[in-house]
Amino acid sequence: MSLLGKKFKLVEAFDQSVNRAYQLLPARFAVLDDGRYLLSNEVGEYLVVNRDQLKSYVKKQVPHNTDFYYDLKSKHFLFDDDSNVAIDLLALKYRTKAQRVAQFTALHLFVVSLRCDYTCQYCQVSRQTDDKVAFDMSEATADKALELVFKSPSPAIKIEFQGGEPLLNFNLIQYIVKEAQRHNLEYKRDLQFVITSNLSFLSDEVLNFCQEHCIQLSTSLDGPEGLHNSNRPRPGKNSYQLTVDGIKKAQNFLGRDKIGALMTTTEKSLSQVKAIIDSYLENNLDCIFLRPLSPYGFAVKNQQAQKYNVERWFEFYKEGLDYILEINRQGHNFVEVYTQLVVNKLRSPFSQGYVDLQSPSGAAISAIVYNYDGDVYASDEARMLAEMGDKKFRLGNVHSDSYEDIWLSDALLDTLESSLSESLPMCSDCGFLPYCGTDPVYHYATQGDVVGNKALSGFCSKNMKIFKHVIGLLESDSDARDILLSWVR
Amino acid sequence: MNELELNFDVRVFSLDTIKRALYRFTDKCSFDIQLKDYDIIVTIHAKVDEDLSTKIKNEVLDQDLRDKLSQETANIRTLILANAFSNTGLIQ
Repeated sequence: MSLLGKKFKLVEAFDQSVNRAYQLLPARFAVLDDGRYLLSNEVGEYLVVNRDQLKSYVKKQVPHNTDFYYDLKSKHFLFDDDSNVAIDLLALKYRTKAQRVAQFTALHLFVVSLRCDYTCQYCQVSRQTDDKVAFDMSEATADKALELVFKSPSPAIKIEFQGGEPLLNFNLIQYIVKEAQRHNLEYKRDLQFVITSNLSFLSDEVLNFCQEHCIQLSTSLDGPEGLHNSNRPRPGKNSYQLTVDGIKKAQNFLGRDKIGALMTTTEKSLSQVKAIIDSYLENNLDCIFLRPLSPYGFAVKNQQAQKYNVERWFEFYKEGLDYILEINRQGHNFVEVYTQLVVNKLRSPFSQGYVDLQSPSGAAISAIVYNYDGDVYASDEARMLAEMGDKKFRLGNVHSDSYEDIWLSDALLDTLESSLSESLPMCSDCGFLPYCGTDPVYHYATQGDVVGNKALSGFCSKNMKIFKHVIGLLESDSDARDILLSWVR
Repeated sequence: MNELELNFDVRVFSLDTIKRALYRFTDKCSFDIQLKDYDIIVTIHAKVDEDLSTKIKNEVLDQDLRDKLSQETANIRTLILANAFSNTGLIQ
């Protein structure tokens, strides 16, 4: 062989008319719509293919000189004699996606009080009247919980104050923030705070403290005045006015990006999605999370959750997303949070850290809850379930259990083991697996089983519908694709 | 409740493939599965007023492809995961 032959491949190597053998790389698929399939690989890269393409791919009959072959090769669905670098690249990407598991618990929820001035029908935690200090967290409990917080290896720690209405125990919030900052002089984490509040008690003292300690606020806005007041009743029937006044006050005082809002969908919401979105725009909020009603707490006691099914909620979501895309087309950057999360999962190499869409489940790995009485729960939903009398996901108590006791408890490890989508029936070979997750607490609450039958699962049905809809928009609507991709972080 | 019978040749489809395909319809049907000579006989007890036989047959074909893909790539998948977690201290 000449010297030239050693450095360059022979002419035959470039002959596109010859079909060479190729090796399949791990992949899964799911039906997308009539005749189209989503083909995804281990790290979430995907192609939309028809059945003939799918069959020819699996049977290794894809002609070498076609665009489809190069699509499959460049997205790591196959490799051939030219290069086997795909295996190394897939491993690297897989490691990047799995990094959040090693980083461990970043979000620590402190339920500083169960008391609340509201009497919402859908409230997912039992509320107590506001004169029962027995339902406030004590400094001693907070101290013990803080010791656990800083045992997490996560480089970023977010402490979120929840209730009830957490501002009813504002003294303890001040205490925890100062103590956490004192601990952090030693631990040097990226430390952030959020108060989730209905804003009824948003005084200048609270705002000054938030400004001084860079604390973000999160509130609930369910839509226009009539809907909000109906969903979120309080004495005086003025919850909407109090909330929007609070949002405006916080925006002016702390800055527009320091306060966000969440909405809860009820049966009354279903016909009002545009009005709900308009109420967010009117209040200068830049995003909305069109959430379904979760099957916990008072939502179940009042059978609200059963009043509308996934299909009806999905119509609500689709109508809302269409409207939001139209708002964006008119030049207003406004985001639907769950869609943004899904698009990020489809297009970004990084894990998104959303508790419900993770495998293994984000329960206690990504977020953990310290209840007012020191009980520790795997997630906020686990606490809601406990308030209904079922403490299956109680991991321990800050006063009697160590970090190791809690994070290595059977209650947690058994749950995590049952939450690996890669080994669950129907999930393990589903094309949407790289973007989806599992919610053991949801499936336990609805089916009495942490794994659950996904054919019967509202969680599975909802997410499949959303994935299909979002992928459909990305594939078929160039305007929508541009907007959705602008939401990728 | 509607009842329907479907036969699958065990030389063409594995019992595992059939079971995986049927599982996806457990919201709408329950099933009895019997093996007779070369036949896998599936009796479908439908909870809904809908002829699901075509959908079930198509799902069996899809599941057969899934099983081929999964079996063929099982070793490479293990290799990728071992590579991904090497030097992380998570596997010895």
